[in-house]
Amino acid sequence: MKITICIGSSCHLKGSRQIIDRLQNLIAEKKLKDDVELCGAFCMKNCVNGVSVKIDDKIYSVTPDTVDNFFETEIEPRLA
Amino acid sequence: MNNLCADISYRSLNKHGEQLCGDMVQLVKDNDDTILVLADGLGSGVKANILSTLTSKIISTMIANKMSVEDCVSTIVSTLPVCKVRQVAYSTFTIVQIENNNFAHIFQYDNPKVILLRNGKNFDYPTKTHIISDKKVLESKIKLECNDLFITMSDGAVYAGVGQLLNYGWQRENIVEFLEGHYNEKMSAQSACSLLLDECNALYEDMPGDDTTIAAIKIRERLAVNLMFGPPRNPNDVNKMQAMFFAKQGKHIVCGGTTSNLTAQYLGKDLITSIDYLDSEIPPTAKIEGVDLVTEGVLTINRVMEYAKDYLGENKFNNEWRNKEDGASQIARILFDEATNINFYVGRAVNPAHQNPDLPIRFNIKMQLIEELSQALDKMGKVVNMSYF
Repeated sequence: MKITICIGSSCHLKGSRQIIDRLQNLIAEKKLKDDVELCGAFCMKNCVNGVSVKIDDKIYSVTPDTVDNFFETEIEPRLA
Repeated sequence: MNNLCADISYRSLNKHGEQLCGDMVQLVKDNDDTILVLADGLGSGVKANILSTLTSKIISTMIANKMSVEDCVSTIVSTLPVCKVRQVAYSTFTIVQIENNNFAHIFQYDNPKVILLRNGKNFDYPTKTHIISDKKVLESKIKLECNDLFITMSDGAVYAGVGQLLNYGWQRENIVEFLEGHYNEKMSAQSACSLLLDECNALYEDMPGDDTTIAAIKIRERLAVNLMFGPPRNPNDVNKMQAMFFAKQGKHIVCGGTTSNLTAQYLGKDLITSIDYLDSEIPPTAKIEGVDLVTEGVLTINRVMEYAKDYLGENKFNNEWRNKEDGASQIARILFDEATNINFYVGRAVNPAHQNPDLPIRFNIKMQLIEELSQALDKMGKVVNMSYF
């Protein structure tokens, strides 16, 4: 599964880096390295609702506070 | 016209306790010629400052208007105010005229002799002696080669350390050795100048005993760098902006998320991004085939601007941007070290999401940023061109 995180200016300021760090940790913890690929993108034209994170062409709004929840509700179920 | 150009930088240290510098550098550029005059006025403080300002200003203006050095010297002799204490009107001078980026025509009166490093080694160039109005003026005409480095200085440089760290100061030969030891081909005029001036300051233990000025001229090949920043205000201008940008020779840097997406579309190539943060505050760079560097926009440029201001002043971030691989450091190296001509292609589209007062990236901030960056680059002696879309 491919997860794309926006690293454009606006999303960066809203915490792209923290989200990437947290997702990388979660993926390592749960040993999902072979199942999940993280990548970056420049601007998804959704700056107002950043940080934009895309899975299967659907854009989600994630913040550093909601990233754990996002992982549980959107990422884990898809892998099950 | 050849493909060479002169990269010029100069800086002074004031004598300890003085607010004004008694050395003065004037730089005049017209299409084919660059004229640098370094004058050192008798004494220090206000009096020296007035003498050297008059001298350098008179000479640079007269030479720029194609008058002879003889005329310049006699004008100075009859114009300078006479010092009441010493009963003389006196200011030394060095004139370096870069003609058509082809020849250096040098006139020297009583300053330490200009040092020329050719391929990193001292080059002993011939001089002719003229007596003009009872003054001994040395003249040289030197055919330029790529990487020639001219170092012009006031006598404060050779007195550095006298009676402090060294008995007799360091002589011109020592300065030559010092420069040869630190030389590398990529060295810019600015780095040569800072290197030498910082060493003088260290020998003076931060308390210069005399005004000290270094002016460096590095002969190098021209390199144009084109930098695109932001999408055009009118979406119909996207192709026009991209076409004009890529029509230019030299390196191409694209800054900004939307902007790089547009470039990738225009070139029909993929935009390859990464998530490796090399600097926690600067978003990672990306790649597009056919573009030398792709970065995020406003945060990266903001950092470049901070580096540029620092480079012209305290120079304390030098090691940072010279050694790091994040987008801002890479842009800094290309713009400060490599580029001689810089063309900015600035798009004025407003990103509504950026207009949030909590974000430090509003439209007017962006425009102000690019304006300040271009001014800083101009101060570094770059030829800067701005095009707005």
